[in-house]
Amino acid sequence: MALEDATVRFEAGTFSAIIGPNGAGKSTLLRTLVGLLPDYGDAVHFDAGHTAQDCISYVPQQQTLDWGFPVTVWDAAMMGRTGRLGWLRWPGRADRERVAAALRETGVYDLRHRHIGALSGGQRQRVLLARMLVRDGHLLLLDEPLTGVDATTQEQLMALLRAQADRGRAVVMVTHDLEQARRWCDHLILINKRVVADGTPAEVYTPQNIEATFSTSYLGHTHAEA
Amino acid sequence: MQFLTDPLQFDFFIRALLAVSLVSVLCALVGAWVVLRGLSYIGDAMSHAVLPGIVGAFLSGGSLLLGALVAAVLTALGIGVVGQRSGLKQDSAIGIVFVGMFALGIVMLSKVPTFTSDLSHFLIGNPLGVTTADLWGALVVTLVVGTVLYAVQKELLLASFDPTEARAVGLPVRRLESLLLILIGLVVVLTVQLVGTTLSVSLLITSSAAARLLSRSLPRMIALAAALGIMGGVVGLYLSYYLDTATGATIVLVNTAVFLLVLMFRRKE
Repeated sequence: MALEDATVRFEAGTFSAIIGPNGAGKSTLLRTLVGLLPDYGDAVHFDAGHTAQDCISYVPQQQTLDWGFPVTVWDAAMMGRTGRLGWLRWPGRADRERVAAALRETGVYDLRHRHIGALSGGQRQRVLLARMLVRDGHLLLLDEPLTGVDATTQEQLMALLRAQADRGRAVVMVTHDLEQARRWCDHLILINKRVVADGTPAEVYTPQNIEATFSTSYLGHTHAEA
Repeated sequence: MQFLTDPLQFDFFIRALLAVSLVSVLCALVGAWVVLRGLSYIGDAMSHAVLPGIVGAFLSGGSLLLGALVAAVLTALGIGVVGQRSGLKQDSAIGIVFVGMFALGIVMLSKVPTFTSDLSHFLIGNPLGVTTADLWGALVVTLVVGTVLYAVQKELLLASFDPTEARAVGLPVRRLESLLLILIGLVVVLTVQLVGTTLSVSLLITSSAAARLLSRSLPRMIALAAALGIMGGVVGLYLSYYLDTATGATIVLVNTAVFLLVLMFRRKE
């Protein structure tokens, strides 16, 4: 288990970034939040009236998906309705309008009939974000959404996530891009097996914290020289 | 034209055409999931794992199809339990359960006084030996399997494309997998006794794999797999009629040739 000890809180209307080196436990923390680690099912608490399944939207790392799967951009976004619709219910007009709106918001509506395998890395990430919007969760969890995405798309994705937070959702992304996180997020969590720092960018983004977070990985080299 | 109409004077040939077409549709329905979820091994495994059910039913004088079905359900559930408890990869779980079941069938078979043709027909089907009752049975199974798969299609799609998200929204991913394995078992049991093991595996995997290479959506993939299966079946039947070759194997060769052609000439989107 990469993560030894961590207690964190995510507020509605906040864009949070979980940052740390490889093996720091970022994904473990995210997977615990999603409820994928059954042994830690009682480690996550939601405010009254919410459960994980009715409020979480999860966006996996795009490399973990099989992009050769026979689905179009439209189909992939519609998958976001699966949990909401429930068994033996088929998408209706409202669902289709929701999907169309999400595809327009993420800028891939014109590609809706394309096979997902024909998309670029940035377009794939937009499709995953569209699916996330379609799902309509209150807590949006994203695993490395900036990886494999071009600079222009990165900016647009961050603006879109920022807007989601401004609309009252809790947005949480795992990233190793400290700069993007500092620019767009209002809540940073630095972790390395445990929480090193947790607060606003101004509080968290200090040389001491950065060093404490990354010292066992690539800053270790500097230490050896000193 | 006589070339085409000549064989149609034989009822067994017409029944074989209908059987191969029906089985192509049935196999396309589950074959899509077999190929997409990397379960190709299961088709072959299931055709062997149902042996104890068939022999058990034969020894006790019960329905062979029912016996095979019970064995298929036990195999599907067994694979699920072994996979989840042991944490082994699914191909290992399938291997462990299917050889165990097959061996049990062989041991039981050694208690059958004589290996009757009744039993061998069930184990190694032949498209030319299909009866009208077989065709009705296949039609019923096709409708049942098609209905069940349609009912859970959106859940199965999400659980196959992104199991993590599926679990996050609370879908019973493992139960869906067991359901799929049971349906595959049902299809394999039926198709093996109708058209034999080799052809049933070919229709389950080769046609669906060729369709996958050409399709950008699941409904298209299923429709195309069925169409390719029917086409291969018809061409193979005529070829085997005129060349006087083993029917099932000839159809399999046509399917394999179609797959290779698709592989060579497909236009990448």
